[in-house]
Amino acid sequence: MEKQQNIVLFGYGSFGRQLYKNLRSRGHNVKVVVGLDDYVEVDSDSNINITRINIKRNDEILALNINAEESIFYCAMNKTANNLFLVLTLKSLYPMANVISNSNSNETTRKLKYAGATSVIDLYEATSRRIVNVLTKPAVSMALDEIVYKQNDLKMLEIELEENTFLEGRYVNEIRFRQMGIILIAIIDKELGYELVFTDHRINHKLDAGDILVIVAKEKDINKFQEMLNKG
Amino acid sequence: MKKSKHKLLSFAYFLQGSKRYNNIKNFVYDLIENDDYPYKKYFDFFMIFVILSSVTLLVMDVKRHIPDWLDDFDLYFVTTVFVVEYLLRMWVYSDIHKIIIDEFEESSYFDKEVRLSSLFAKIVKNKWEYMTSFSAIIDLIAILPSYRGLRVLRVFVLFRAFKMLRYTKSLTGFLYVLKNKKFELMTLLTLSTFFIFIAGIMLYVFEGDNDNPNIHNLFDAFYWALITISTVGYGDIAPITPEGRIVTMLIIFTGIGLISFVTSIIVSSFNERLGVLREDRVVQEVGKKKKLTVVCGYGLLGRLVVRGLEKEGVEFVIIDRSEEMAALAYNDGYHAICADATKGEIFEKLGIAERISHVLCLTADDIQNAFIAVNVKSLNDRVHVAARCSDHEIATKMECAHVDQVIMPEEVAGMMGAVYAGEPVAFEVLLSIIEEKEKTQINEVAIAEGSFLDNKAIGDVDFEKLRLILLGVFKRSENSKLGEFIFNPSDELVLNAGDNLVCIGYSTAIANLKRKM
Repeated sequence: MEKQQNIVLFGYGSFGRQLYKNLRSRGHNVKVVVGLDDYVEVDSDSNINITRINIKRNDEILALNINAEESIFYCAMNKTANNLFLVLTLKSLYPMANVISNSNSNETTRKLKYAGATSVIDLYEATSRRIVNVLTKPAVSMALDEIVYKQNDLKMLEIELEENTFLEGRYVNEIRFRQMGIILIAIIDKELGYELVFTDHRINHKLDAGDILVIVAKEKDINKFQEMLNKG
Repeated sequence: MKKSKHKLLSFAYFLQGSKRYNNIKNFVYDLIENDDYPYKKYFDFFMIFVILSSVTLLVMDVKRHIPDWLDDFDLYFVTTVFVVEYLLRMWVYSDIHKIIIDEFEESSYFDKEVRLSSLFAKIVKNKWEYMTSFSAIIDLIAILPSYRGLRVLRVFVLFRAFKMLRYTKSLTGFLYVLKNKKFELMTLLTLSTFFIFIAGIMLYVFEGDNDNPNIHNLFDAFYWALITISTVGYGDIAPITPEGRIVTMLIIFTGIGLISFVTSIIVSSFNERLGVLREDRVVQEVGKKKKLTVVCGYGLLGRLVVRGLEKEGVEFVIIDRSEEMAALAYNDGYHAICADATKGEIFEKLGIAERISHVLCLTADDIQNAFIAVNVKSLNDRVHVAARCSDHEIATKMECAHVDQVIMPEEVAGMMGAVYAGEPVAFEVLLSIIEEKEKTQINEVAIAEGSFLDNKAIGDVDFEKLRLILLGVFKRSENSKLGEFIFNPSDELVLNAGDNLVCIGYSTAIANLKRKM
């Protein structure tokens, strides 16, 4: 049900490798690009295709023939300066491009955002939260482990409502999500603009086509829910 | 004779076995010698007060005669306090009865008679060791002014002020510096004495025979040499002959050299010592905490974690091997120590056995982290250890060493990055609940005994009204602290005290529920 994306991943260091693995396991198409003299460590069992270019040259990036409108760029080079430079380059070549970069501090995040990165992933922010949670909120940390970090059948995902589903025109409070094994966490209600709202019962949203639901559920319940949606 | 020996031995055994005697002795020892003993500071305050009052009386007595009762106070009370203190210190310095018992046991082992004279000599030698120690000598001199026969002894009251060094720890640091650089300072002292000696004699030879009306004898010449070499230069005695002036010029140059030398030695020694002094203070401060988390490594991740811990009110101390990083943490206002966390020493100082609950190994080097983790676990395996790692192979090794939690930042971030590709909205949600940037947060609430949720079925709880989304419940069980995570529990599940609810909601809604508990 997840959309298959075309992804261009710059850099294949320790972070790049993890990103690649996760992206592949979710079924996306990933093209890996690294700098000319970057050291690359490839697991023997993965048949990965790595393109080497001089990332400082625009013509070499253009020569990759990327359809920028339908791709997502990930900048996961080892050096902050390279990521920043890459974001600038990509944004100047493809102003509408969806560029994501990794960062290692607030400071770097600020610069990357200014350079035009659509989203920035801090290498340490989530990890530090996790470490602190283990000390102060053990239950939360274990729950997040189950839902987010561990590979099991409990998942968090988003579902965009299409036309004519059984949810169309109904209110969130009317629908007994919990009994379907689904927990609705957040919603993007088109009527309220494109802002993300947590469904902690302060507003009773009316569901329409185009709204996006973020849910947590077990795999089998998700499949059942999808079937119900498709039936309309 | 034999009988008295026997009596002595049985008395020694009596002291050895007496609980009360040992209790009293331990108490006295704690009070006057043990810095960790909480009531020692009252004793210290009292002694400082006594010393200061005695010095004040000395100063007041210079211009006008102090009243008799104050003089009596100085003579009897202060003296008594000092004498008692001196004797007590001598008493707790060592155990005489142990020496007696040792001596008797030894001689019975070799089947020899105990000679009282040698036993006595041993005891005296033992206590003499104490009496010749630096602080004991100061203590003794401080008692002398009580003898009013000699006027000059009055000045020794100032030695009472020296006694104060003992009651203030930071001042002893200074003495330590002097002691540490004893060799260098002694060399310089010898050198300058030599110069003063030579220059003094030369000046005396050149100007002593009536050329200079101010130089009457050799002492005047030495006095002049010291005043000149130290660059103080009063000018009450000044050379008048060309020869005398040449000598002056020479010793002025050596004088400047010597002075700057001494200054630099003391300053550099202080700098070396500064780290240790700071470390002592940090150890002392965190020593008061009941529960302590140790963060090893103050890199990018360490800094973020520390900020999070601070926000949550967790007590922690930072250890970093690099002096620069430790200083940075210190300047950021945290307890920080520059030390090698792969060694046991620092953890023992911090109280690994009783105080430390968590150790976080967050340096950028995997092997270093594994090393620290093993170090901590080998000292005390009940301490919860979390280690950062960027390699799956090393992670397995860490798990072998019973590291409680292995965290891989690249893996966590890589997973997040991958979520973004297919599900940007879910990514937003994740980011905001994981990084707690928004007001909506994920939190846990433990159910208190007798609260409104105790013994209630999930279906009967109105989470809608509480404005919370219930993710799941940790049911308390016998064998583990948290129990198993029950995701989206059914309406029939009954909550009990000790269970933990994991909810998502606005921070005020969560605070509200916690208040109700």
